[in-house]
Amino acid sequence: MARSVWKGPFVDGYLLKKADRVRESGRNEIIKMWSRRSTILPQFVGLTFGVHNGQKFIPVLVTENMIGHKFGEFSPTRTFHGHAADKKAKRK
Amino acid sequence: MPESEKASLAPEGESRVCVGVVVGAHGLRGSVRIRSFTDDPADVGAYGLLEDETGQWHFTARVTGFGKGEIVLADLTGIANRSDAESLRGTRLFVPRAALPEPAEDTFYWADLIGLPVFLPDGTLAGSVMAVHDFGAGPLLDVTTGEQQSVMVPFTHAAVPKVDLAGRRVVVVREMFDSGDEERAP
Repeated sequence: MARSVWKGPFVDGYLLKKADRVRESGRNEIIKMWSRRSTILPQFVGLTFGVHNGQKFIPVLVTENMIGHKFGEFSPTRTFHGHAADKKAKRK
Repeated sequence: MPESEKASLAPEGESRVCVGVVVGAHGLRGSVRIRSFTDDPADVGAYGLLEDETGQWHFTARVTGFGKGEIVLADLTGIANRSDAESLRGTRLFVPRAALPEPAEDTFYWADLIGLPVFLPDGTLAGSVMAVHDFGAGPLLDVTTGEQQSVMVPFTHAAVPKVDLAGRRVVVVREMFDSGDEERAP
């Protein structure tokens, strides 16, 4: 069952404070966080979070398409080292 | 087995990339099932001649259909019956790195990045690129910095200001390697 709309999206309080602090400072630093359950909000767009996967912090640069998803979705806890083949990476 | 036995397609010292592996036979006419590792599974035969791990057996692959996920059905030259196709099970298929088309500007093949030494802006060796990942939030370089220690670095201009493939070096800003003893929030 989906979460009731009247509750609003869930975000851990400490994360909002951290994000506000970094945004006000204007520095583009990685915000280390453990709250994989928090929802990505519009005010997080453009910030980079280091989402802990139980072992290390996975950098997640938040874009508009990610709004509404949870941080944990972008930081898998099990890593499969696949084949590179013809896969390409574009530097943003 | 196919009849074409030649020297490897990649000249001595040049790298190859694995584009797929034969996982089984399909039907009675020698079609094979290939697990494709390419971005688009249908591209497994798009880069010309494929060769096996030893570099002695060469095939051209014509994709005839698709299975589940990354599985494609293909006809390989020289494979005309099911028993030949079954004998190829487990064969990894390679193409020379030079067969891949040139990427666009500021775009890099994962295969080119993996293994490159990583330097700090001041020239200090920091590690090497162990793998490249994309978990949905953009490409990440998995930089190994020591025994069983690795750091994920976002592949952005801010974090990776320089990629020099010819000079075989990647420059990563120092902040990526600062552990930052940060208290975990309650």
